[in-house]
Amino acid sequence: MAVRWSRVAPQLALSPAVAITVVAFFGAILWTIYMSFTRSRRLPDYGIDWSEWSRQYDRLFNDSAWTTALSNLVILAAGSALAIVFGFVLAALVNREKRGEGVFRTIFLYPLAVSLIVTGLVWRWMFNPGLGIENFFHQLGWTDFKFNWIAQADTAMYGIILASIWQSTGFFMALMLSGLKSINTEIWSAARLDGVSIWRLYAEIIIPMMKFTFLTCAILLSLGVVKAYDIVVAMTNGGPGQSTWTPAYYAINAYSIRNNIGFASAAAVIMLLITLVIFLPLVLLTAWQLRRRKRAAVA
Amino acid sequence: MTAGALAPRVAAAVYPRRRRRIKASSIATLVFLTMCCLFVAVPLYVIIVTSFKEMSQIVEGDIFSLPRTWTIEPWYKAWNTLCTGQYCDGIKTGFFNSIKILLPSIFFSIAISAVTGYALALWNVRWAGTFLFILFMCAFVPFQIIMIPLILLVSATGLYGSFWAVALVHAVLAMPLLTLIFRNFYKDIPQELMNAALMDSGSFWRVFFEIILPMSGNIMVVVLILVITSVWNDYLVGLTFAGFSSQPMTLILANALITSRGEVIYNVDMAAALLTAIPPLVVYFGLGRFFVQGITAGAIKG
Repeated sequence: MAVRWSRVAPQLALSPAVAITVVAFFGAILWTIYMSFTRSRRLPDYGIDWSEWSRQYDRLFNDSAWTTALSNLVILAAGSALAIVFGFVLAALVNREKRGEGVFRTIFLYPLAVSLIVTGLVWRWMFNPGLGIENFFHQLGWTDFKFNWIAQADTAMYGIILASIWQSTGFFMALMLSGLKSINTEIWSAARLDGVSIWRLYAEIIIPMMKFTFLTCAILLSLGVVKAYDIVVAMTNGGPGQSTWTPAYYAINAYSIRNNIGFASAAAVIMLLITLVIFLPLVLLTAWQLRRRKRAAVA
Repeated sequence: MTAGALAPRVAAAVYPRRRRRIKASSIATLVFLTMCCLFVAVPLYVIIVTSFKEMSQIVEGDIFSLPRTWTIEPWYKAWNTLCTGQYCDGIKTGFFNSIKILLPSIFFSIAISAVTGYALALWNVRWAGTFLFILFMCAFVPFQIIMIPLILLVSATGLYGSFWAVALVHAVLAMPLLTLIFRNFYKDIPQELMNAALMDSGSFWRVFFEIILPMSGNIMVVVLILVITSVWNDYLVGLTFAGFSSQPMTLILANALITSRGEVIYNVDMAAALLTAIPPLVVYFGLGRFFVQGITAGAIKG
C-alpha cells in the first residue's frame, strides 16, 4: 500500500501546477492565437471567416503606429545592448580590483530593486527642460546644452534607452561577475607568467570563454525589450504622438483603449513570435550545455 | 571610458604587486568605479533632495542643490492628500492595497512552486523532464499573449477587480520560474537522505514538511525577495486586473503623476515616488546578498 501511495501523492501534488500550465499558459496562448483570426471586437466572437483569416494581421501591419512600435523595438534593443558592454567593463574592473566589491555591487544593483514606474518618473523629472538637468547646465553657462530628449519625437526613444541602461547595467554586471568568477583562477596566473598583455588576455581568452554568459545576457536583454511597457508609460506614455510606442504598449492599448480583442490578440501573437525567435538560441544552448555536462560527468 | 580602459594595462605593467601599497592603477580603477557609482546614484540623490525642498526653491531650477530649508511637508502630503483624478486620499491607500496583494501572492506562489519543485526534484515522476522544459518556456512567455483569456477567466469566477484576482494572477505568472528555482535547489539533496527519510516516514507530505521544508531556509529567503520585489514593483498586472478599490501603489503613483492635469507639485510627486520605492529598497539593502542570488538564479538557472 505504502508504495502505491507514494506514487499517487507526487502526481496529486503536481496537479495544480499542471492545471495552471495547461489552462493559464497553453490554453490561454491557443485561445489568443485563435482570437487573432476572428473578427472579435469588444467581446470574443468565435466564428472564423477563413476567406479573410489574416484580416487583423493585415490591419496591424498597415497601421503606421505598429511599424513605429517594431522599429522602436529594434532601436531599444540596440541601444540597451550598451548596458551589457558597460556591465562587462564594470564587472571586469570590480573583479580585478577586489577592494570594495560589495559596496560597488550594492550601488550598481540598487536600480533593479526600484519599480520601473518610479525609474521612469524620476528620469522624466531629470529630463524636465525647465527644471531638470538641462536647466542645471544652462545656469552653469552652457546655454546650448539640450537635454529635453523625451519632449521631441525624434529623440524620445534615446531618453528611454538612457533610463533602461541606467536600470539594467547593474544586472548585467552581476551576471558577468558570476561568469568571471567561474573562470579558473589558474588562467589569470598563467597569463601573468606568460606575460600576455591585458588586452589580449581579455580579447582572446576571457571573452571567448564567457561567450555563453554574453549570449545569456543578450537573450535576457531582448526578452526584456519585448516586454518593455512600464518604462514607456512612466516616461512618455507613448508620446510625443506615437513616437515611443513599443509592441507591448501597442497590444495593451489595442485591448484597453480600442477595446478590440481580435486586434490586440494579433499584436500579442506577433510578440510571441518575436519571443520565440529570440528564445530558440537559448533552448539550443541549454540542450547543448546539458549534453556537455553529461559527457563531462561520464568522463 | 578612457580612464577605465587604461587602468588594467598599467596594472599589468607594474605586476608583480608589492604588498600593502595601493598602486596607481588601483587608484585609477577605484576612481573610475566611484564615478560610475555616482552616475548610478544621482537619480536617487535628486529625488531625495527634491522631496525635502520647498516648491519656491524647486522652481528656481538647479536640481542638484541641497534644500535650503528641509521640510517633511511633501512627504506628509504625498502620503495623505496626493490626488488621483478627483480623489485626494494620498498614496497610503495604494500602500495598503499593495500589502493586501502582496501577502496572498507570497503565500500562493511559494506554496505551489515549493511543492511542485520538490515533487519534480525528489520523486520519480516520469514526465518530469518534459514538464520542466515546458515550465522553462512558460517563464518567458510575454504577458500580453495570456492576458485577455486570463481576464475573461477571472471575470467568470467573479473575482475580477479584487485583491485575490491580482494576487492569484501574480502567483500564476511566477509559478514557472519559482518552480525551476526550487527544483534546482532540491535536486542537490543527496539521495541517501531521501532514502532514509522514506524509510522513516514514507509519505510524500511528511517528508516535505518534516525534512525538506526545514532545510529550505536559504532558498525561501531568495524566493521571498524575488516575489516581494516583483509583486511590489508590478504595474501591468495591477493595471489589467485590479479594480478601482484594489489598485496597487505603483498604479496610483502613475495615475497621480502621469495623467493628472493642472499644477504639478514636484516635491510631493518625488516624495510619493520615494514612498513607493522604499519597501523594495529596504528589502534590497537589508538582504542584498540574497537579492543577488535571487536575480542570478532567476536569470541563469531559469
